[in-house]
Amino acid sequence: MLSAPILLQLLWTGLAMSSAYCLFAVAFALVLKVNQVWNFAQPALFIAAYYSMYAAWQGAGLPTWVGLALSLAVTVFLAALLEWYGFRVFRNRRSASLTFFIFTMVVSQLAVSLAELFVGTDARALQSSVMSPIHLVGVVAISEWDLLALATTAVLMLALWLLMSFTRFGKQMTAVADNPELAALYGINVSRCYLHSMMLAALLVMAGAYFIGTKAAIVPSSPLNQFLIFAVIAALIAGIGRVFAAGVAAVALSLFQAFSILVIPSRWQIMLVYILIFVCILLFPQGVRRNPRRLAAVEPAPVSQTSVPQP
Amino acid sequence: MNKVVALLTPLLRFATRSAEVLQRARAPRRSMGASRLPASMRILAALAGLGISAGASAACNKPFKFGVGDPLTGPSATFGIDQVQAIKWAVEDINAAGGINGCKLEVIIVDNQAKPDIAITTTNRFIQVDKVPVIVTAFSNVVKAVAPIVNREKVLLLSVGANSPAIAKMGDYVYTTFPLADVDMNALPPYLIKKHGKKRAAVLYVNHETGIEGSQVFRDAFKASGGEVVLYDSYEENRTDFTGLALKVRSTNPDVIHIQSVVSDFPAIVSQLRQLGITTQVTSFQTAFNTKMIQDLGAASEGIIVTSMAPGVDQNPALVPYLKRWQDQYKRLPNGLPYTQYWYDSAYIVADLFRWVEANKLPATGENMRKALLAIKTFKQPLSGPVTFFENHTVSKATYFWQVKGGKFVMIDKSDL
Amino acid sequence: MIEYLSVLAAMALINVVLAVSFNLVLGYGGLVSIAHPIFFALGAYASGLLARDLGMPVPLAILAGGAIAMISSFALSVPALRVSGDYMVITSLGFQLALVHIITNVEFTGAAGGLTGIPSAFEGPIRGQLGLFAIAVFAIACVAIVRWLMHGPYGRAVTAMRNDEQALESLGRSPMAIKVMLFAMACGMAGVVGGFYAHHFLYLTPEQFGTFASTALLTMVVVGGAATTWGPVLGAILITLLPEAIRFLDMPISVMAPAQGVMFSVLVLIFMYLRPQGLLGGARAGGGVSSWYGSRAERRVNGGVKP
Repeated sequence: MLSAPILLQLLWTGLAMSSAYCLFAVAFALVLKVNQVWNFAQPALFIAAYYSMYAAWQGAGLPTWVGLALSLAVTVFLAALLEWYGFRVFRNRRSASLTFFIFTMVVSQLAVSLAELFVGTDARALQSSVMSPIHLVGVVAISEWDLLALATTAVLMLALWLLMSFTRFGKQMTAVADNPELAALYGINVSRCYLHSMMLAALLVMAGAYFIGTKAAIVPSSPLNQFLIFAVIAALIAGIGRVFAAGVAAVALSLFQAFSILVIPSRWQIMLVYILIFVCILLFPQGVRRNPRRLAAVEPAPVSQTSVPQP
Repeated sequence: MNKVVALLTPLLRFATRSAEVLQRARAPRRSMGASRLPASMRILAALAGLGISAGASAACNKPFKFGVGDPLTGPSATFGIDQVQAIKWAVEDINAAGGINGCKLEVIIVDNQAKPDIAITTTNRFIQVDKVPVIVTAFSNVVKAVAPIVNREKVLLLSVGANSPAIAKMGDYVYTTFPLADVDMNALPPYLIKKHGKKRAAVLYVNHETGIEGSQVFRDAFKASGGEVVLYDSYEENRTDFTGLALKVRSTNPDVIHIQSVVSDFPAIVSQLRQLGITTQVTSFQTAFNTKMIQDLGAASEGIIVTSMAPGVDQNPALVPYLKRWQDQYKRLPNGLPYTQYWYDSAYIVADLFRWVEANKLPATGENMRKALLAIKTFKQPLSGPVTFFENHTVSKATYFWQVKGGKFVMIDKSDL
Repeated sequence: MIEYLSVLAAMALINVVLAVSFNLVLGYGGLVSIAHPIFFALGAYASGLLARDLGMPVPLAILAGGAIAMISSFALSVPALRVSGDYMVITSLGFQLALVHIITNVEFTGAAGGLTGIPSAFEGPIRGQLGLFAIAVFAIACVAIVRWLMHGPYGRAVTAMRNDEQALESLGRSPMAIKVMLFAMACGMAGVVGGFYAHHFLYLTPEQFGTFASTALLTMVVVGGAATTWGPVLGAILITLLPEAIRFLDMPISVMAPAQGVMFSVLVLIFMYLRPQGLLGGARAGGGVSSWYGSRAERRVNGGVKP
């Protein structure tokens, strides 16, 4: 059973499947880093993306690129709404994290219920056939879906990295992530950065939704009950502020789950993910806060030099 | 699995219970055939009934009602809708032929989404509001959930199509008109081993009543016939991504994959198996005997073998006008054709029960309907062939084997029992 | 009519206990946990199984269910709270989903098909009314306990903990101990009322205890007014009765359930925007979501930057 072809196939397919989870994790981590919000409303973005694509393709029969453009517009718009009329309002009110948490969870639940209302609770895929052509490379079956998913994710990750590291757009977001007040002092439009990060997250989520939906059907509650927890754990493992590490963590988690099929029954695979949460907490008792350290690094020079008037 | 209906379940329950009580408060009670007409009136009514040759009399003051709970929405609706159509046609046909001694047979149809908690609410409603003595339903998990209720309230439950062997032990008032999985799942493995030379089976099953017991029967029978079961794994009902499972199947290298599924999970699993280049022979039971499945899977459906407990057109010519009716009205074959045959016939069984109860001058209570069932024992079923109810709540029929060839189901063999 | 009202009242009272106990955790304690329905489930399943399979008498089974729920709460609260309140969110979500998954996949709970054949607490024609009476007594007791507790010295310690943990620690009290005990109490209550539910309604399915149930509880607490005594009571009664109102619109089943989900979510959002103190929380009463303003709980996720 543990022969090379099998292991290779598991590796390949596991990697391909992890592409969507990587996108979700990176989106979640980005919002966590820049907006400093645990975005439990990410399932709502997924649902908006997924069902707008579904409506465009299966409902109205529009061409592929129209559906993609439409879905992107809808998701990005929703993300902007979430930030502008949601997070910003509560941020200005200096609301507790409890408030953000309730808000985001309830927004997700609203999205799930709306989807169930309009589309029903049956499983739907984005295309009428989820079979894509396969090629046998040696002993490994590689489907075109696999290739597209991996390529797209790689391109998006590269683009995001370039954006964050080399463009003003990206560097401003990083500055806001480190210290919003200081960033504002430097003339950075903090609110706009918050919007930008949410919109980027929306793009990533939409891409992930596309790949999920072209592989298998889902029910409206899947984003909330299944995909969210992956993204959260990946972000947890990677640590707040480490976006690409979250992506890597998601890939590792997904591979871990894929290989677990060799030793445990398939219905218990998801338990590994839940158990991992508890393991994380026990192994990282310091918590995932790295902010205090970074804040300390950017704090102004010792008080005695600046506040006490020098003779 | 619909995770949405959470705390709402109890709310739904008393929501419909409130409807019951409010209806009771508003409308006068309707008694179920327990009429207390004076003898002279009853004789006149009987004579009047005899005198009517065509059509049931609308002047009959005791319509015979029974309840039907099946999924009209939700993931299993593909089957439920067609099953309900079949039984509605049967009721029409029975009434056109004179009904029950001239009185109409009436069916009350309620959607239960094949969900146990909704089914409980609807069953309570049938019993407390509509006061039916017989309920027809399907899906093993539904039958399991409502069994305690019908046993407690002494209402006869006819399970038509659900095949978990546990149904035979669910109580005095639970009977199946359809052979349980220990019939066809005992017939399929020896057939595969002897006639198709299979030796290594991977068994996948859905993690509830429909899948659990039937797959156990298959597994044990496959081993008993000299084969090896290389994989025996389950999946939850609402799972849609089977990549991990498919990989595991591939790693165990079987020569036949048997899937004990519900409705929409089967095409999902097969398509994902084929996606990984797994071309192994796939088998299933009657739930996969479904032309929609062939449509969904296309070429990937070639060669799939399924069992069916109902005769085909060659065995039963009465099927020809039935299939024509489907083509005329819907331009297609029914989904889950053999199930619809049993559902059509179940109305005839119910009608026979009412006739017996009437003939023996007993009130049409659940208890008496049950007596009728045990007294009549063997029923002529127009579409699915005669059926005999055994003492142990089981029935036994021949198993037919069908295979998808050229995009159509073709009967390839039969196993007598 | 009587039967209808007594079933409705029983459900409302069960929801009252759930909302009041959830309020202990979320409202008073400021603990960000959404796993409350799972303790309800643990109590219900434990009580049902003990009574059905081990023949335990029903009152004892209900108490045992509550105890099991209470003990299980330590499995969640101790590891999570040892670190920080943020961990509680994720851990509670994982805890809930994990337990629902286990219940759905393990044979002895009846798995996805649910637990049937639970022995009833009372027999006979007035079993509905007797059950209602028992639940009512328990609900009143819960509300009374919470009120007495939170208006006394313990309540002040809890408020202090919510507002400034470090200060509390410096006074020699342990915030961790307070949080864990508060959580245990709340989960114990939920577990006991779970037992009542099991022996009154006689059927459990794992789906009832997922994230939707969490939303319903959140709605009750937020709408009623968090961190108040009567807020959750009012919220529970309202949220139990509201679905009745839309039921009369005679919608098909497939529409009704998600419609209720939409209704609950929209209600919570409206209240969070317009009246975060809930119906009964006022500036003076200090209740509602706003009771966390200025508290330590607030400073966590907002970048740690505060003027």
